[in-house]
Amino acid sequence: MSELRINLTKGISLFKYNKKAFIGFIIILFYVLMAIFGRYIVPLSLESNFSERYLAPSLKHPFGTDYFGIDIFAQIVNGARTVIGLSMTSSFFAVLIGTILGILRGYLTGKIGQLVDAIISIFLVIPSFPALLIMAAIFADSNLNMVQISLIVALWLWAPLAKQVSAQVMSIKSKEFIEASKMLNMPLYYIVFKDIFPLVAPYILVNFAMQLKGAMEFTIGLMFLGLAKFDSTHWGIMLNYALYQAGALYTPRAFHYPFFIILNIILLIYGGIIFAQGLEETFNPKLRGHE
Amino acid sequence: MKFILNRLIYLLFVLFIAISGIFFLINKMPGDPAYGLAVSISQQRNMDINKALEIAHQMMGIDTGEPLFIRYVKFLNQFIRGNIGYSTYYQTTVNEIVAKSLPWTLLVVFISILISFIIGVYLGAFSAQKRGRAVDISISFVSSIIQAIPPFVLAVLILFVGAIKLRIIPLGGAYPVDMEPSLSMDFIISVIKHAIGPIVAISIPQIAVWTLAMRGNTPQIMEEDYIRFAMIRGVKDSTIARKYIRNNAILPLVASLAIAFGYMLGGNTLVESIFNYPGIGFYFGKAIALRDYGLLTGLFSLIVVGVIIATFLAEIIYSLIDPRVKVK
Repeated sequence: MSELRINLTKGISLFKYNKKAFIGFIIILFYVLMAIFGRYIVPLSLESNFSERYLAPSLKHPFGTDYFGIDIFAQIVNGARTVIGLSMTSSFFAVLIGTILGILRGYLTGKIGQLVDAIISIFLVIPSFPALLIMAAIFADSNLNMVQISLIVALWLWAPLAKQVSAQVMSIKSKEFIEASKMLNMPLYYIVFKDIFPLVAPYILVNFAMQLKGAMEFTIGLMFLGLAKFDSTHWGIMLNYALYQAGALYTPRAFHYPFFIILNIILLIYGGIIFAQGLEETFNPKLRGHE
Repeated sequence: MKFILNRLIYLLFVLFIAISGIFFLINKMPGDPAYGLAVSISQQRNMDINKALEIAHQMMGIDTGEPLFIRYVKFLNQFIRGNIGYSTYYQTTVNEIVAKSLPWTLLVVFISILISFIIGVYLGAFSAQKRGRAVDISISFVSSIIQAIPPFVLAVLILFVGAIKLRIIPLGGAYPVDMEPSLSMDFIISVIKHAIGPIVAISIPQIAVWTLAMRGNTPQIMEEDYIRFAMIRGVKDSTIARKYIRNNAILPLVASLAIAFGYMLGGNTLVESIFNYPGIGFYFGKAIALRDYGLLTGLFSLIVVGVIIATFLAEIIYSLIDPRVKVK
């Protein structure tokens, strides 16, 4: 338990000496706040106003307007909700599946361990994005909600994490204090949750941040292809509109439309990447002197 | 030899699982996979939907009276003979679609990987050499930003800037419709012009990946005993940097190269769709949009086969580079 506490205090003081993690955290926090409060501050009106079609960015419309004369900034702010929601839930599920199967694989020996290992290897080899597209296509007409879509996305994200976690667990389980717990006849859940879990916990946190990149790419890709639709302001769907709606491809002055969507996608993913890098630099056992 | 055989059997097993998985996933779905084809037949020939459904089943080789398991065995049998399915939308075999689309995908993937690998390795090695200096910091910074750009998002940007604003690249296709494929200079130039969008969209994020991988690999190698020994022997610094460090840092990347190649076969669905570039990914995207499950199954199987061959090659390369792998 003390290990976990050390990790937590490290986590809090981490921002003091890791700039990357700090900046990444601020970027993610910014979008999370946008997702939670954005729609109250910047209300979205989806009423078409053709006299304001494809207006360039101005004070009134910071990101300009789209084909229907709707403010793009308001759409981005309101879309953050589903973008953040989907990618966070997908990452969460991916980390959950990956951690459970990874610990199982690392700790168990014998037939069950081999079975889990086989499952992990199969998911590692099958190309995830095409597989995800097929599943999404099959379920596309059945109006999935956010949790269901996240589960489908997570199904194709968890495998690399499970493999890494199992490697970590395998190196931990031969340590003396585990042997001691075993000799004291501690139950399995105690060994897994009190002895092993605190040691892999920072690792899992780093991976949650890393999964965000994959989760965002996957969900935005799905939305872009129109395979999951429940919010027209999701950035993936906006990007689709920017490209294909009403001859946008032949309208050079509409460039600001895709540009601002792309800018926000990249900034959010970048935030996730440097947050993960910063965390890793802080928690990496090699740099920290774990033994 | 035993190691190679073991891996081969294992990967064939994974292939079997993947193909079976997709077969059952599609066939256990609610609805009839032949329904889409039946609708288009009944509209074209103005006939009853039930009769069209019957024709559709015949065309796709589905006997609805047959139990699922028999159909599965038939599917596997056809697959082993190299017949990977029938496209209901294009009304032709998937093999034929693969034959006309695979060359374009291979062209784009091959050039992209070559360009990005060479540039990435050089940038990474250079960056590692200047570790901590301004050049290194800016290379890492730019690489990690580029890493954050999904290829298809970059594709949208390139399409807008290149094809719509500046009008220097075409809006789609692999070559102009009014041109006959030939070995003439004009044709080759227009093929390159059409391929440039997808190539740039795929290469730029890849360059960042290789740069960071190479930069990350290098310090580990600098710690090796043979580097220290070479220094003690008085080998010139530049020789150590080039021959000892760079060459050894590239080795592990070569195996990743094979894997990257495999995954790119299917990973470019969005990029090829955005550029309307008629490769495997483009038809995969079409199959998804049209719910053409025959084409979908066939192309997915092909992609899995590609990935498995690539993984197998990578494992052989790994075992050649690092004999310790075999023991495990």
